[in-house]
Amino acid sequence: MGNLLEHIGIEKDRLHFSWISSAEATKFVKVAKEVTESVKALGPNNRLVKKLG
Amino acid sequence: MDSLTDKIRTLCTGLLKDGKVDMIVGFKKGTIPMSSCPCVARTPEQAKELIWDSNCTLNLANYLTNRKEKIGVVAKGCDSRNIVNHIIENKVTRENLYIIGVPCDGMVDKRKIRALFNDDITLFSEENNKLFVETASEKKELDKQDFLKNNCTTCIHRNPVIYDELAADPVEEQKIENRFADVIKIENMSSDDKWNYFNDLIKDCIRCYACRNACPLCYCPTCFVDESNPQWVGKGQDINDVRTFHLLRAYHCAGRCTDCGACEEACPMDIHVRAFTRKLVKDSCEIFDWEPGLDPNKRPALDTFNPDDPDGFIK
Amino acid sequence: MKVIKIDKQNWTGGIDKSRENYQIFGPVKDKEHFVFKKLNLKEYPDMENALSVLSPKSILFPQSEKILAASLDESQDDHHIMKRVATDYSPRAVIGIMPCDAKAVQLVKLNFDTDDYRDPYWCDAYEATTFVGLAVNKPSIYDFTLSMGSGPFAEEGLDVLLVDCKDHFLAKVLSEKGDAFLKASGFTSEADADKSAKLINEIKNQAEKAIDAEKVKTEKLKEKSLLELHGASFWEDLSFSCINCGTCTFVCPTCWCFDIQDETKGKKAVRFRNWDSCMSPLFTLHASSHNPRAEKVQRVRQRFMHKLKYFVDKYDQGTMCVGCGRCVVHCPVNIDIREICNTMNSYEAEQA
Repeated sequence: MGNLLEHIGIEKDRLHFSWISSAEATKFVKVAKEVTESVKALGPNNRLVKKLG
Repeated sequence: MDSLTDKIRTLCTGLLKDGKVDMIVGFKKGTIPMSSCPCVARTPEQAKELIWDSNCTLNLANYLTNRKEKIGVVAKGCDSRNIVNHIIENKVTRENLYIIGVPCDGMVDKRKIRALFNDDITLFSEENNKLFVETASEKKELDKQDFLKNNCTTCIHRNPVIYDELAADPVEEQKIENRFADVIKIENMSSDDKWNYFNDLIKDCIRCYACRNACPLCYCPTCFVDESNPQWVGKGQDINDVRTFHLLRAYHCAGRCTDCGACEEACPMDIHVRAFTRKLVKDSCEIFDWEPGLDPNKRPALDTFNPDDPDGFIK
Repeated sequence: MKVIKIDKQNWTGGIDKSRENYQIFGPVKDKEHFVFKKLNLKEYPDMENALSVLSPKSILFPQSEKILAASLDESQDDHHIMKRVATDYSPRAVIGIMPCDAKAVQLVKLNFDTDDYRDPYWCDAYEATTFVGLAVNKPSIYDFTLSMGSGPFAEEGLDVLLVDCKDHFLAKVLSEKGDAFLKASGFTSEADADKSAKLINEIKNQAEKAIDAEKVKTEKLKEKSLLELHGASFWEDLSFSCINCGTCTFVCPTCWCFDIQDETKGKKAVRFRNWDSCMSPLFTLHASSHNPRAEKVQRVRQRFMHKLKYFVDKYDQGTMCVGCGRCVVHCPVNIDIREICNTMNSYEAEQA
């Protein structure tokens, strides 16, 4: 799915996959930070966003 | 080609006469030049209408599901792979089918041929890899090889992978240098270019769903775009809704698509819809070493878990 | 009958002049095929009678048309009140429409403009439109208009009929609207009425000869029993190849069915209508989940019975097919309305 989205022009860094156990608080924080930073770097997304009429 | 037609007719007439099948699914001649019509033959008489030529482009696996009869089916390489898919997905049983395999040397792209002429094509015939095409004012002899459908030019499974009988000797499989050159070209684009490329690709889509309905994989009782209670996808011509349709339909075909090209063949707006599915064909090939529709006894890539599946995308 | 002579060298100049008063629509090549669309400055209609994939019906009846809108902001007095959206109904001219497509508009009018109901969106667009047709000198091999009450030179539904006479067009003025358009384009040079009528007739006869009017027969459709045709056994085999896509209905100039949809986002709500297709099971799905046309064979039968029998019986205006040939060309599985029409026309009830 990630590959196909990237293929049609959704930047790779907008979609993240991760496996975090409920015991891995530090990892959760780390991943959340990474996600936020990489999405922020890309700026707001206008793709695949429907505007009405 | 004529000998193939004869052979198919003889085989099918025999099957019907001997009561080995209740019906044959094959092609009959179309009513306009460069066309064919999927048809059913229930009597030896009707089996005489069956034909085979380079216009038998659609995928007959599409016509086999939800039937009770014992069916004889005429199947080229890609059709046979979709029959294997159907068997794996429990849409048909092997015992209920009699497969007449047709080794295939590619189907012709009627759009490429029409583009050569100013007038309507009035006559089309073929012999030994030569095509003879006529309009009211012109006549051309063409090499079939130059006018194959795009998916046929990269096909490496021309011979049926499953059959009860072959209508001809197997053909030599193509050795393709770079099978996914078209996909790689898109992969190398920037995100903006990719986005624009696919926008331009689907801008003419009229959502007639011919691509979906011609596809043997698309057999969901209710397609996600037809869900109405509640509705899942907007039904207008908003490009985001159109894109959602193409994107999700493609993804539903991941690890199942045989690149038979029926979707593109059916599209009235000449949209290169395979641009979506080709990426998935390439990925399933490269990531999982999986080519769908080759072996009814193997579970598909997206249906199985292996501890050594590549997982580079998960952090 | 007034006939105007238009030298081809003055053609684009005239089109440009008409833009002062009209929005111009016409066929142009886009990628590999022809489409009817609103033409921008410097865009001119293709005048070669190329068969566009989609018919020009979309000019009056867009595939997806916003019709009403409302605000969902409860602080507004008129929140949740649906109001008609502003649409540009200033005069428009469709140039290069084929005569059969213009007839199709008249058939669609039977549905959208009746004594009981008047569809404001379609009717307003219709009234704003001048139809400048282009006679078909060289009919395509798919053209069976002569069998369907139209023809390459038919005038029904047109305001002007242009006839291509090599270095010039002869423009037959068929209505006041047509006259006004030609004047607005600066095309005012009247041709000799008798001479031009003779020339047009010659070209017309030549064009009509290219179509075998006997190939598709419709004369017995009316007298056939509706129930017997409905119950005929041929539908099963005829519908076998159908994949139930909407191609035939979408490319058809006379298919008029639509679906109403509401969408909301934030404080905005819009209602719009989309082309619908009787080929889709969803078309007849009831809220109760019952579907009276759940099977493919029922849907295929519906389409052809509607065009070639129900319509014939209800309106007594011929078939709801004008013979343009689009569905014949574009059906992915070669379901050919010409053959089905003949099958229906020659059908004799089977012995019980």
